Amino acid sequence: MRLLLVEDDPMIGESVGQGLRQDGFTVDWARDGGAAELALDNKVYDLLLLDLGLPKKEGLDVLKTMRRRGNKMPVLIVTARDAVVERVKGLDSGADDYLVKPFALDELAARIRALLRRQSGRTDPVIKVGKVSLNPATHEVTFQGESLAFSAREFALLEVFLDRPGAVFSREQLEEKLYGWGEEVESNTVEVYIHTLRRKLGQDFIKNIRGVGYMVPRHP
Amino acid sequence: MTSIRRQLLVWLVLGFSLATIAAAIGVYRQARLEAGEILDFQLQQMAAAFPKEGFGPLTMPPVAAIEPGDVVVVQIWDQGGVQVYLSRPDSPPPESHGMGFSTVSTPDGDWRVYSAIVGNNVIQVSQPTSVREELAAAMALRTMLPLLVLMPLLILLIWITVGRGLKPLNVVASAVGMRSAEALQPLPEHGLPTEVKPLVSALNELLARLGRSLSFQRSFIADAAHELRTPLAAVQLQIQVAERTRTDDERAAAFAQLKGGVDRATRLVGQLLALARYEPEAAEQPFAPVNLTDIARDVVVERAPIADAKEIDLGLSSVAPTQIMGDAEALRVMLGNLVDNAIHYTPTRGTVDLEVRTQSNVSCLVVTDTGPGIPPAERERVFDRFYRGDTAGQTGSGLGLAIVRRVAQRHRASIELGEGSGGRGLKVTVCFPENPLAKA
Repeated sequence: MRLLLVEDDPMIGESVGQGLRQDGFTVDWARDGGAAELALDNKVYDLLLLDLGLPKKEGLDVLKTMRRRGNKMPVLIVTARDAVVERVKGLDSGADDYLVKPFALDELAARIRALLRRQSGRTDPVIKVGKVSLNPATHEVTFQGESLAFSAREFALLEVFLDRPGAVFSREQLEEKLYGWGEEVESNTVEVYIHTLRRKLGQDFIKNIRGVGYMVPRHP
Repeated sequence: MTSIRRQLLVWLVLGFSLATIAAAIGVYRQARLEAGEILDFQLQQMAAAFPKEGFGPLTMPPVAAIEPGDVVVVQIWDQGGVQVYLSRPDSPPPESHGMGFSTVSTPDGDWRVYSAIVGNNVIQVSQPTSVREELAAAMALRTMLPLLVLMPLLILLIWITVGRGLKPLNVVASAVGMRSAEALQPLPEHGLPTEVKPLVSALNELLARLGRSLSFQRSFIADAAHELRTPLAAVQLQIQVAERTRTDDERAAAFAQLKGGVDRATRLVGQLLALARYEPEAAEQPFAPVNLTDIARDVVVERAPIADAKEIDLGLSSVAPTQIMGDAEALRVMLGNLVDNAIHYTPTRGTVDLEVRTQSNVSCLVVTDTGPGIPPAERERVFDRFYRGDTAGQTGSGLGLAIVRRVAQRHRASIELGEGSGGRGLKVTVCFPENPLAKA
């Protein structure tokens, strides 16, 4: 899952980005409101982590603008402003959750997972498609009741597919989900990962849609 | 303890008593004068009451005109000067040798004597003057008596009236006494007597000043706590990242970040302390002669390694000693902040230049850099606490220039922000007021 982190403090931005990457998220980091809006034009993100006190454009203005433009992406405000009025204002401006600094990285990751779950219309924290179940919190995958080991990228790719079964992803879309800014993408890595997934979960688990991309059917 | 009530009571009673005594003395003197006239007239009448044609056989004189108890002695001499009558043989009366009234001293006291020739005889009527004095004293006492009786009533009246008069003070005192330390709204001034009003207005002014200073402190603490939250949040996150590391390299990198985070929090606390220390109300170091050039040299020496690491040419372009009266430590902190800012914002291989200049007794510190400068619109706001400008990615405390301004204010120095040479960079000029120590 690819997140956009908007944070002007270099130390906090650095640490949050690192922590979330350790949790398997792909994270891009914008340091001001203007950069955040530019990044949002690219509709690749699954969730926005938004600080409020930002240079160039205030966090709340960024939020209001994107909501006005019909952007339905989940937004989690992460800020040092802890007053009740600020929280209320943040949530009423279109945010889905509000986390006050300082916070635990684990809690941030859990809230992100909860928002992503809700966005996909699920209530069960474990994603189940057919005989495969994936736990985003523990990074555990079981197939026919047996636990399977995946690398971080493989797991991330599987999560993208299982999050929206029945949806077709192009190779470019999948690359964008897996690689953040500044990360080198080798030409056929996505194919390599898909190959691995098929090897472990069965050839039919991921279908090729010729000329368009790949899909995990709802009930494989 | 002095009590207005008791003082008023003592002085009013004392004044009233003195007035009473003065009145009694006046009455006594007037009464004596009048009693003298009346009794003199009586003596004269008495003498005149004797028959002109002389006496037959000597009998008791008609003394009915004299009040009983009055001691009047009558003596009669005939033509030959022989005493033919003495009304009180027991006490030898005084003798006067002239006619008319006279006062004669005897060992028994003074006597008032009236002598007259009646027919062929000389008649002398005498009376002790003590009679008149007693009469006058009695009259004076009668005057004083009601006043003395009124005295306790007067005391009571004064006590109550003064108490009532001072009641507004008690009201104000209890209004102040019941306040909590936070309640700084003004006391009501309406309906207070003119004597109490100035006190209450002065109190209200003090409360207002206190309120301003308190709200400044509160907002400062709130700001400070808020500002500390960000570096501490960073440190917390850095710790969590460090905890999650799996390899030694990752761990080493995480600890380096953590160290940076702790350094930043420490720097912020240091800046907060500096700001509090140079608070206008804080106990101040007395001013002493300070050599600005020495301070500039110290600051350059101290910051040389940081500047060197960024390949910035940091230097001092004047060496003439310039003395002012000031707080050396505060000035060092001020100049240090200016130079730190300059180094921070100046890109690699830039220049930061310090200059101490004196022109017509005004000494100035000038710090010029080749950084991005500050747009004119922002030049006033940069001195606000925690203002960081519209630049992302800076981890400054936002207090540097606030400290600079505070130290400058303490020295009554002016600060001017302008462009460096060629309209590039920032030039900060701090000018100290005209000082007698400056060497032209």
